[in-house]
Amino acid sequence: MFETDFIATFTPELLVLGAALLIFLLDVVGVRRLEAFGAVAVSGISLAFLAVVADLGFAPLAVLRTIPAGSVDLPLSASLTAVTSLGLVFQAIFLVSAFLVALASLSRPSGERGAAVFFGLVLMATLGMLLAAVANDLIFLLLSVEVTGIATYLLVGYTRKDARSLEAAMKFYIVGALSSTLSFFGASLLFGAYGGTGFLVLARQTAALGYPALALAGYALLIAGLGFKLTLVPFHAWAVDVYDGAPDDVSAFLAGGSKKIGIFAFFLVFVGPVLAAPALGRWCSLSRCSTLQLPATVELALGIIAILTMTVGNVLALMQPEMKRLLAYSSISQAGYMLIGVVVGTSAALTGTTLQVVAHVFMKAGAFLVVAAVVGLGVGPRVDDWKGLGRRRPYLMLAFALMLLSLAGVPLTVGFVSKFVLFSSAVQAEGWFVWLAVAGLLNSALSVFYYVRVLKSVYLDAPAPSAAADARLDRPIGVGRTAAIAIAVIAIVALGIDPQPILGGIQSATTHFLQIGA
Amino acid sequence: MTLPVLSLMLVTLLGGTLLTFASRDRARYVALATSVAFLLEVSALLASYTVWPGPVNGSPGYADLESYSWIHLSWLSINYTVGVDGISLILILLTAFLQVATVVYSWEESKHPEAYHGLVLLTCLGCFGVFIALDVLLFFLFWEIVLVPMFFLIGVWGGPRRRYAALKFFVYTHVASIVMLVGLLALVFYSGAKSFDFASVYVAARGLSATVQTFLFLALFFGFGVKFPIVPFHTWLPDAHVEAPTGGSVLLAGLLLKLGGYGLIRWAVEVLPVGMAHLTPLLYVVAFAMIVWGSFVALAQRDLKRLVAYSSINHMGIVLLAIAVYSQLGLLAAVLLMFAHGVVSALLFMASGSVHHTFGTRDISKLGGIARTAPILATMVMVGSLASLGLPALISFPAEFTALLATWDRIGYWVLVPLVILVVTAAFYLWMMQRMLFGPARNVPATAHDLPWYETSAMAILLALIVIYGILPGFLVNVIVNSPVYGFPGFP
Repeated sequence: MFETDFIATFTPELLVLGAALLIFLLDVVGVRRLEAFGAVAVSGISLAFLAVVADLGFAPLAVLRTIPAGSVDLPLSASLTAVTSLGLVFQAIFLVSAFLVALASLSRPSGERGAAVFFGLVLMATLGMLLAAVANDLIFLLLSVEVTGIATYLLVGYTRKDARSLEAAMKFYIVGALSSTLSFFGASLLFGAYGGTGFLVLARQTAALGYPALALAGYALLIAGLGFKLTLVPFHAWAVDVYDGAPDDVSAFLAGGSKKIGIFAFFLVFVGPVLAAPALGRWCSLSRCSTLQLPATVELALGIIAILTMTVGNVLALMQPEMKRLLAYSSISQAGYMLIGVVVGTSAALTGTTLQVVAHVFMKAGAFLVVAAVVGLGVGPRVDDWKGLGRRRPYLMLAFALMLLSLAGVPLTVGFVSKFVLFSSAVQAEGWFVWLAVAGLLNSALSVFYYVRVLKSVYLDAPAPSAAADARLDRPIGVGRTAAIAIAVIAIVALGIDPQPILGGIQSATTHFLQIGA
Repeated sequence: MTLPVLSLMLVTLLGGTLLTFASRDRARYVALATSVAFLLEVSALLASYTVWPGPVNGSPGYADLESYSWIHLSWLSINYTVGVDGISLILILLTAFLQVATVVYSWEESKHPEAYHGLVLLTCLGCFGVFIALDVLLFFLFWEIVLVPMFFLIGVWGGPRRRYAALKFFVYTHVASIVMLVGLLALVFYSGAKSFDFASVYVAARGLSATVQTFLFLALFFGFGVKFPIVPFHTWLPDAHVEAPTGGSVLLAGLLLKLGGYGLIRWAVEVLPVGMAHLTPLLYVVAFAMIVWGSFVALAQRDLKRLVAYSSINHMGIVLLAIAVYSQLGLLAAVLLMFAHGVVSALLFMASGSVHHTFGTRDISKLGGIARTAPILATMVMVGSLASLGLPALISFPAEFTALLATWDRIGYWVLVPLVILVVTAAFYLWMMQRMLFGPARNVPATAHDLPWYETSAMAILLALIVIYGILPGFLVNVIVNSPVYGFPGFP
C-alpha cells in the first residue's frame, strides 16, 4: 500500500516532525518545563537516528526507495526524492548535530521562556535537513533548504529580548532570503535550458545539449545561492555576525549542523547524479569522472572559491580577539576544505569531504557548546577573558583543547584523519587539484597559530585577579551539557585513533552515489 | 606468532604516562617505575637482537616487525607497522636512559609534579614511537606527539621568557613538520607506493627520477633539519633550551635533536640516495656552518646554559657532516655521535641547572671556585665538559674520531675545518671551567650546598654511560652496524 511505503520511507522525517508537533502541542496545553520539551526532542531525534542507522545497515544499494513508490511504478528520473546511502549518511550526521545541541540544551535553566520554541524550531530545521538529504529534484532540494532556513532565522532571534540576537536574526533573514532568491532564479534558468529540474533529467539533457549559456548562468546563480548557506567566500560576511549574535547553543547548531546542508546540496547539484549519469557514456568508479563533465570554468571557479574560503577564514581568524568570532571564522575556513571534495569529485574526495563534515560536527558543535558552558559561568567573550581557565576547569578545558587540536588537524584526532583523507584524495586525482591539497595544508599550518593562541591563554597565562576570586567559575555546567561535550570528545578521539569503521561505510556510500542512475 | 615486543613497550609507556597523570602525590614513584621497567625492556630487546633479518623481497627487513591494517581505503593503505634495526635500537637505549635520569633528577619537582612527570614520559613515548615507526603516517603521528608535551614543559615550568620560547619552539617545529609531511606524502604519491609502509616506499622510491628525488630530499632535509637544528633555522634552540626547565632541556638536547638526525637517516638518506648525492655540497656547507657558527657563538656566551645550547649546534653539525659523507663509517659515526651528544649534553644541562639553583646564577663571569663549595657538582661539570670537547676514553672521542676519519676518506683536507673548530671547542670549555670551577670562590650564597642525592644519582647514571661507552664503544658499534642499511646495494 502507498501509505505503508510512505511511512517506511520517511520514518526518520516523520519521527522528527511528530516530535516537533508534540512539543508545540505541549506548549499550547500549558506545559512550562524545559526538561519536558527537551526530553521529547532528544527522544525524537534518537529514534530517527536509529531508523536511519537501521536503513544504512541494510543498504547495499545506491538507491533504496523512491516516492511515490509501491502502487505507482515511477522511474527514478520522475521521482522527487530518492533515498541513497550517502543521503542516509548525511541524515545520520544531521541528526547527531541536532542531538548534541538538544542534549546540551537540557541543562539550561528549567524555567526559561521560549524553550518550546527553541526545541520545536531545532526539530523543524532538522526536518528540512533530512528532506534535503533525500532530494532527487532541484526544486525539492531548494524547498527543503528553505524549511531549514526559516526555522533557523527564527532560532537566532527566539529569545526576543537581546538586541544583538534580533539584529543577527534580521541580518540572517535578509541574507537568507537573498540567497534563496538567487538559488530559485538559478533553478528556473536551468529549467528553461533543460526543460526539467529532476537531477537525472538535468543529467540527460546536459549529455544531449551540453552547457548553453542559460544553464551556465543558472549554475553560477546556484553557486552564489548555495554558497551563502555554506559560508563560502565572498558570500560569507553574514556568518560571523550571526554566529556571534545568536544564542550560544543556536550558534552550535548553525555552525555544527544546519550549515552542512549546503555541502550536501553542492554534492547533489555539482557532483552527483546530475553530471555523473551513464547517459554521458562514463562509468564513475574510483578514478575521477564526474568533474570531467563539469565545464572547466565552473570547476576552476569552485576551486578558486575553495582556496579563497579557507584562506580568508583563517587569516581573519588570526586577528580575532573574541572567541565566538574566532570559531566562526574557523568555521568558514573549514567550509573551504569541504569544498575540495566537490571540486575534485572522485569517490575518494567525496569520502574525504564527508568525513570532514562528520569531524566538523563534533569539533565545531562541541566547541560552541563549551563556549556556551563557559559563558554561562560568567566568563567574558574575549579570548583574554579565558586566561587561566585550564587550572580552574581542567576537564572542560581539556575537552575544548581536544576540539581545537582536532580543528587544527593534530594527529590522533578525527580532524587529522579527515583532512588527511581529503588532501590525499586531491593529490591522488592529480592535475591542478594537487594545488588544492597544497593550499589546504598551508592553511592548516596557518590555522594552528590561532588555536595555539587560545590554548596559550587558557593554559599558560595567569588568570586575572578578579576571575581568580570569582566563585561562579566553580559551578557545575549540568548533566546534559556535560554528556553532549563528552560524546563529542569521545567521538573526536575514537574516530581519530580508528576511523576505519565509518570510513569504509562512507567510501561505499560515495561510490554508490556516483553511480546513481547507472 | 612472536610476542609483539615493541607494542608491549609502547603500552608500558602509555600506561605509565596515564597513571602518572592520574596519581597525585605518588606521581614520581609511578614515573620512576615506568621508566625503569622501560629500561629493562629495552635491555631485553638489545640482548635478543643478534643479526638483522636481511632483505625481504628487495626491501629491508627489520627486527621485531609488527604490522596491522589501520586505515584501509581503495586508494589508501596505512598500517601500524613498527620494527627496529641497530640504528633505532641505539637511540631507543638513549631514550630509556635519559628518561630514567630525567625522572630522578626532577625528583623534588614541586609545581604540579604529576603533570610534569607525565609530560616527561609522554615526550619519551613520542620519541620511542618515532624510532620504531615504519609507516609514514605513524611516524608523523609520533613526531607530532612530541611537540605537545614539550610545548607545555617549556611554557609552564620554564624560565622568565618561557611563553615566548614555547611559542617560538612550537612555530618553528610545526612549520618544519608540515614541510616534512608534504615531502613524505609527495614521496608516497609520486613514487606510487602501494602502502605507506617504509618497505614499500623504499622499493617504490628506487623508480623516481633524480630530479624528483632531489626535490623530495630538499623538503625532507628542511623538515628534519629544523629539529637538528640546521643553520639558519636554529634560532628556536637557544631560546627553548635556556627557558625550558632542566628536565625539558635534557629531553630537548638529548632526544629531540636526535629525532632530526634519525629522521634524516631513515626517511631521506636511506630512501633517496640519488637525491642526496645531488645535494651533498649543500649538506657540507650547512654542516660546516653549524660547526663554525655553533662553536664561535658558544665562545661568546656568558650564560652557562646558553653555552651548552650553542655547543649542541656545533656537535649536531658534526653529525650532519658524518651523514653527508655517505659512507658506512660516516653513518656509524653519526649514530655514535648522536648517542654521545645525547648523554653528554644531558649531563651538562643537568649540571647547569644545578649550578643555577645552588648559586642563584648561571653567569660564568659571576661564578668562581665551585670546586671548593660543591665538589661533586664541579666534578660533573668537568667530566661533562671534557667529554664534550672529545677527551679520549670518554664517550665522544670514538664518535668524533670516527666522524673525522670518515670525512678525511671523502673530502680530504676539508677535515681541517671541524678539526680546527674542535680546538676552539676545547678552548671554550677549558676557559669556562677555569673561571667557574677553580680560582677563588665568588658570589657563594650562604645556602649553597653540594648536590642533593637525586641530582647526584641522575648525573651519576650519565657519568657511568660516558665512561663505560668511552672505554668500550665496541658494544654500540656492533649494534649499529647490524642494520639493514649496511647491506643496501650501492652503499659505500
